[in-house]
Amino acid sequence: MTLSGRDAYRDALTRLAYDDERILCIEADLGGKNHPFALAHPSRFFNFGIAEAAMVDMAAGLAAGGYKPFLSTFAPFAALRAAESLKLTLGYLSAGVTVVAPYAGVSGAWFGTTHHCLEDLAVLRSIPGVVIAAPYGEAEMRAVVGAAAISGRPHYIRTGRNAAYESLPWEGESPPAVNWESTADSGAVCLVSVGEEGTRMALEARLERPGLGHAHLCYLDHAHLAAAAVELAERHSRFVVVEEHRAEGGVAEALALLLPGRIVVGVNAGHGWPVQGGDHNEVMAQLGLDLDAVRSAVDRAELGG
Amino acid sequence: MTTVLDATRVLAERARRARELVVDMAASPRGCHLGGSLSVMDILIAALERANRDEGTRVVLSKGHAAAGLYAALHVSGVIEENPAPVYGLPGSPYTGHPGPKVPGIAFPTGSLGHGVPYAAGWAMALKLGGRHGLGVAIAGDGELQEGLVWETVQVAVARRLGNLVIVVDRNGGQNDGLVADISPLPKLAERFTAFGCDVLEVDGHDLAELSAVFADDREGADRPLAVIAATVKGMGVPAVQGRAGAHYVTIGEDRAEKWKRTIR
Repeated sequence: MTLSGRDAYRDALTRLAYDDERILCIEADLGGKNHPFALAHPSRFFNFGIAEAAMVDMAAGLAAGGYKPFLSTFAPFAALRAAESLKLTLGYLSAGVTVVAPYAGVSGAWFGTTHHCLEDLAVLRSIPGVVIAAPYGEAEMRAVVGAAAISGRPHYIRTGRNAAYESLPWEGESPPAVNWESTADSGAVCLVSVGEEGTRMALEARLERPGLGHAHLCYLDHAHLAAAAVELAERHSRFVVVEEHRAEGGVAEALALLLPGRIVVGVNAGHGWPVQGGDHNEVMAQLGLDLDAVRSAVDRAELGG
Repeated sequence: MTTVLDATRVLAERARRARELVVDMAASPRGCHLGGSLSVMDILIAALERANRDEGTRVVLSKGHAAAGLYAALHVSGVIEENPAPVYGLPGSPYTGHPGPKVPGIAFPTGSLGHGVPYAAGWAMALKLGGRHGLGVAIAGDGELQEGLVWETVQVAVARRLGNLVIVVDRNGGQNDGLVADISPLPKLAERFTAFGCDVLEVDGHDLAELSAVFADDREGADRPLAVIAATVKGMGVPAVQGRAGAHYVTIGEDRAEKWKRTIR
């Protein structure tokens, strides 16, 4: 059975910790009962309680003491409530701390706006030095967590709630800056997919329009996006970026700056607040984030943006 | 044989020299947070003495606005070789108005209040997990206790039984815009820490012998964090500003600095 992003994280970290005694798993009371890491390594699992900022700052002290803290709480509480701690600990100190943030975007669905986070990439992308990843599927999550554990660098890993996807295949150990799911003629529009639902929608759009290119991006920090932009520009000049995030601070905005002279059209969550219930897809649709929006964006890109 | 009295005299001389440097920094083009740098000085001197002879102990000045005091204390304690006062706040100098990790002896950036307490708690937890010796020492201001992050961290530290965490409160009674008692007072502070599950000591924050005794305790076997409420006086040691709430941030000329330094006690 394919695991969701957060379950894949928990399983991957649990396995890595057998061979690395410095790995710690810390939750802010949202790890659930029977967390696999707690069962396998009880002396290195900690529920700090509902104390997100303290969790991030304490992780700096733990990292200084030689440990590799992996922290997890929902994206809005990590990226927004604890934003200043992220700035100081992951950014200024460049501490080897990894924050794994499920419930990104509106994957919290009917739980409502307090549990949504359409702003985390804007916050984290503005903090220099943080490696940012939004894995699509189980294999990508496992690879990203494994890379974080050996890198010594600060990481922010964004994922959804319970959706489970098969990752796109890639060559090598770590997901590349650009994973070409589909290459196409240079004149064709290239979909650029970000995160779980962005990638799902891009794959669905390409099934309808096989002539489209499709580049999937797993890593979203400035260094990775700059490398990706070079590769994207070598093959295409018209792009539609699909992401479950607001336009401001999102990946389309970043690529537009990195790809001067190219056409970059964004499919994103816009400026609305999802105030109704529904499942994940239905709440995305309230924000205009659906396959129709991707189709329309492709049409606009073909017409010149 | 070195006696306690001798050791205290050494620390007192360091504190006196450090206070001179703080006055020098108040006479820099930038000025400095003078009152709080002077109130916390004896706490810093005693805590850094412990850290100097125990690499497991880390001292975090959570009330980072007293950076001038920290730089001076680090210099007279032998951690910073150069005298920071002549270059304080200048381009090319790491001695900024709030301390950062580019300065030797400073592991964590502080100045946004509240964050130094969890940094020290994380360090204490790392020591405890590794079965290592030492303390995580956070020095906070009393105004700083208005930050929720402090209490959030105390709650985590108590739950994690971090008996090697020492939180010192420099209780000088002042904050940026006035008196703590007028703005957001701290009634029953000792009882508050006790209620959270801490051990509590109330000390004279200018008694170096008493402070040294506090930091000499390894807290081996303790499983409750220690809160040390240190009664201090804003501007302590410089009669012109001692006890004056208005001495929070001060910029003076060199003539006045020389005059003030001659009166330091």
